[in-house]
Formats: sequence, structure tokens, C-alpha cells
Amino acid sequence: MTTDVSQRFLARDNVYLPHIAVIEKIIDETPGVVTLHFNFKDEKLREEFTFKPGQFGEYSVFGIGEATFCISSSPTRRDHLEFAVQRVGKVTNALHRLDVGAEMGFRGPYGNGFPLDSFTGKNLVFVAGGIGLAPLRSLIWNVIDDRDKYEKIDIVYGARSPADLCFKYDLDAWGNDSSINMVTTVDKGDASWTGREGFVPQVLEQAAPSARNAVAIVCGPPIMIRFTFPVLEKLGFTPEQMFTTLEKRMKCGIGKCGRCNIGNLYVCRDGPVFSFAQIKGFISSEY
Amino acid sequence: MADSKRINKEDIGRLLDEWSKEFSVSVPSRENGMPAVLPWDGKDTSFLEWYRNTVIPPKANFFPPYEKMFDFQKEAEGYHLELPPSDKQKYLIFGIRPCDARALTMLDTVFQDTYQDPYYLSRRANTVLVGLGCTNPYDSCFCTSLGIGPGESTDVDLMFTDTGDGFFIEPVSDKGRELLAATGGVEDTLEADEARAKDVKKAAYRKIIRRVDTGDIQQRLAACFENQDYWEKVAAKCVSCGICTFLCPTCYCFDINDELSQDEGTRFRSWDSCSFPIYTRMPMENPRQEKWRRVRQKVCHKYWFYPTNLDITACTGCGRCIRLCPVNWDITQTLNNLPASS
Repeated sequence: MTTDVSQRFLARDNVYLPHIAVIEKIIDETPGVVTLHFNFKDEKLREEFTFKPGQFGEYSVFGIGEATFCISSSPTRRDHLEFAVQRVGKVTNALHRLDVGAEMGFRGPYGNGFPLDSFTGKNLVFVAGGIGLAPLRSLIWNVIDDRDKYEKIDIVYGARSPADLCFKYDLDAWGNDSSINMVTTVDKGDASWTGREGFVPQVLEQAAPSARNAVAIVCGPPIMIRFTFPVLEKLGFTPEQMFTTLEKRMKCGIGKCGRCNIGNLYVCRDGPVFSFAQIKGFISSEY
Repeated sequence: MADSKRINKEDIGRLLDEWSKEFSVSVPSRENGMPAVLPWDGKDTSFLEWYRNTVIPPKANFFPPYEKMFDFQKEAEGYHLELPPSDKQKYLIFGIRPCDARALTMLDTVFQDTYQDPYYLSRRANTVLVGLGCTNPYDSCFCTSLGIGPGESTDVDLMFTDTGDGFFIEPVSDKGRELLAATGGVEDTLEADEARAKDVKKAAYRKIIRRVDTGDIQQRLAACFENQDYWEKVAAKCVSCGICTFLCPTCYCFDINDELSQDEGTRFRSWDSCSFPIYTRMPMENPRQEKWRRVRQKVCHKYWFYPTNLDITACTGCGRCIRLCPVNWDITQTLNNLPASS
């Protein structure tokens, strides 16, 4: 009865207490999206921090609040961390207003990440739309940095318009990589667009990557995800061969605050990466 | 029973007094107008007369409606974060009902699962629960359908049973056994006391009339999950006020927000509810914009999703969501009338 339990619980590893991080670089991706490069203020943490592609964090602008973003850089490139922010609400607007040198809070990494070990020796098909490329790009760079472990790589990426294409520097790099089959598309081109036009699911169907010894990893707006799974099934992918990383409104990030569930699964704790086999029972009705 | 004790009703004030030397004692109270478990004023034991159950469930004593998580301050060298000072006080709750004590056992699973929630768990570790068996349950109560007896509890430290002129006291946990052994002014029990307590518990059990059919409930909910007609019918009169969730002893959903003045502020959490569309709203879409989806979520979470994950039903049959609902929505009707399929 003499142990000071409250002290023990509060002080040590309080999961809600963010680490302080400093913005090091800001890249304008599209008119509404920026990529922020950051590092932890604490040097020890900077060295010890590890994560898996597909994991996410809770990012704070103190006084405004917290919001959820995946870590968009690869764990193989440890110089700094990156995340991409679309300006849509209170916290994302505040993040857009931060300058280089500004401090923010970070909690994480949370979530399961991609089952990278199970991808070894496989053909990888990446399908992404808009800012949905952010979590996949962490995985793609990780795979490229470990290129020998994987077979063919197909990437189908699309956005609404040429101006909405994110990570253009990556698209260029992957396009120039002879070991990658890169297909970029836009829903509707503009005067200067000479590339492909068409929705991601249709372009995927035309590209028709083989399902043999392959896994498909899909991320994008819910509507794109909904239309992409049937195309993959048509191409012969089983629900166990199809993965996605889902986005839901989150607060705690650790399976307690309640809101991000799909059935009994919490996107924050059990995901955000799921196989289609795990969620197909709920996807029509709750996603 | 060897380690059971008894106490006369008129000595309860003295007992609470004695415990107040070691603990901050809380009891059922109407002080703020709405029955809740509040700090004892040192004299009033009238709750023994009026108390059936509180409106605000005792979860509020561990997981308050509003809670500071930490303060932040912007200083010359950057942000400084400060946790609230640790609370060294030991607490004792007197009079918790078996349904509400079970709810805390269920909440323990939430706040311990994978990540430890320091705020809730420190209060739980610092608190002794003294249960008080029901003798006069409401007609909205259905705890017996959830495997809880109105007169018995394995979720408290000490259990009191009202035997008319006094209370029969049973230690339940080691913590309770230690406390009872160290408590003065309680008498040894006779066989007649134990027999009387048994009768009281049996009588209370018989007073719970309402039932919910929990047989194969997970499978039955899964079977009609896609039955939109049924869920629309069930949700029709709900006004999405959230009362059933705020006053539910097991509902734990929360929001996290910041308050700011100049360069310093507070991060706090507050109760939230799956009854509200904003709870799940995202910039582009909302998976539970329609009311029937939210009502379905609430019911399925309590009886299907939560028990699937952590093997405990997220409902204790306390009946608050029935008794205190402004439009008489009734979860037992919803569960008892589930259609066989979609």
C-alpha cells in the first residue's frame, strides 16, 4: 500500500506525452499538400527511434491539437523522418503554417505496418491515388533499398489532375529505374499533360500485372480502394494477396478512444495495414 | 463465514469516519442535484435510505468527463511539457453496485490493453471498492442476464449486504480482507447473519425481471449486421443525444483537445460518444453519418466486437440507457428482437 502508483504510472512512459520534434524542411507537393521533414529534439531518441513502413504517428501543434499521419519516409533512410499533410482541417492548417525550425509534438510509431517479411521473393504491385502514395512510398523506398529481396515491381499511381500528383521527384526516380514498371495517370489532364489519362482502377486493369507470386498493396481515397479490389480479384489476386492501409478519424492512436473501428478491428491498433481477407466482411458496409 | 463481519446501520457513519483517516471516502450523493459518487461530507449517511443507483456511473471517479493530460508552455528554448502532479491520496468508494463494479473490471481491460493508460490505472490502483448489494433494483435493471447478481460481486474488495438492521460484510479481495481485518467496530457474524444475507441476495435476484437473450448473441448480431431495415427501425426514435453512452458505466470513448492562452495551454481529454456523427467524421467522408449505423455500432460494440477482442461484454445490465433515455430507447428490446438474417 506504500507504493506511489500514480507517480509510477504518470511519469514513466506516459503514452500520451508527445516527443518534441523540429521541422527541418518543407516541400510543396501540390497546392494543398506539403511534406514536412523532421527530427527529434532529443538526440538519444533520434538514434534509437525505429519504425516499420506503414506505421503512423500522432502529430501535435501545441494549442491546436493532434492529427494522425503515416510516416512517409523509409526506415532505411534514417537521416530524418517525413510525413505528408493535406490541408483539410484545424490541425492540418496549423501544420501548414509551421516554418522550418518550428517545434511540434510526435507520438508513435503506432500500428502494425506492412508485413514486409512476407513480401520477400514476391512480385509487388503498388496501387495508389493522390496523397495515398504517402504510406506506400515509405514501403517502396524500403523495398528499393533492399531490391535483391524482391522480384518485379509494378507501381500504378494516379491523381485527379497533373497538379495533384504528389511526390513528383519520386515518380521521376521510379520512372527512371529500369527495375520498376511505373505507370502514372491522371483522371483528367491539362494542356501540358502528355501522359496517361484514366481512373486508377481502370488503368490498373489495362496494366494487368500478374497475380502469380504477387501481392498488391493499395492505398488511396476510399472510393478508389473500393473499385480497385474488384479489379485485382479479376486479375486473379486472392483476398490474402491484397493489402491496404486504411485511414479513419483517430484521436488516441492506441486503441482506446474508440472511433476508428471496422467491426472488432481498430484501424490504429490492429491496422492500419489490413489484408482484404481481414476486412472484406465490413468493407461494403462500414468503409 | 470465518472472515465475514457485521455492523449496525447506525454505526456506518462511524465506520466511514474511521476509513476517512486513511482514505478519501466517497459515497452516493445528491449534492450536485444528480446522484453520483462524491466525497463524503463526514456526516450524511442518508444515502442508505434513498440510494438505488447513481445517475452518473462511478466510471467518472476513474475516468472523469474532463481530464487534464498535461500542460505545455512555450519557452525560449522550446516547448516544455508538464504532467499533472501525482496524486498520492488513497481513495475508498463506499456503496458501489455490482453492475458498476463489473463495469470497472471491463474498463480495466480497455485501459490496460496493449498500452497502459496512466491516468485511469493510477486511480484504480489507489482505490478500494466497497460494494453494496441491491435490495431494490429498478425495473430497467437486467444484470442477471449478464452473469451479474444484484447482491453479489467478484469485482469489489469488500461486499456489504443490507440485512435490515445492519450490514453483513464479506471480504472479496486480499485488499478487502486486509482492510476489514484492520477495521475496528465491526462484530463477528453468527450463522443467522449469513443465512439472512443469503435470503436478501436471493430476494434481490428475483426482483430483476427484465431479460436480454444473450445466447449466441455474437452470431446473431453478425447474421443481421447488414439488415439495414431492422437497424433503421431500431434507430428511428433515437435523437442522438448521447445520454446512453455518457451515463453508461462501460462506455469509454474519448476525445483529445488543446486549450491555449498565449504561449501556454493544456491538453485534455473529454468523454465522447459514438452517437454523434462528428465522432467519426473525416474531411472527405463519414463511415457512420447515418443514425442507424451509429446505433448499430453501439449495440454491436457492446455485445459483439468488444467481447470478441477482450472476452468481456461491454454491458452490465445496469439499465441506465433505458431508464435515462429521453425517448425510451431500449437495448434489451433491440437485442431480443434481432431478425434471424439480413
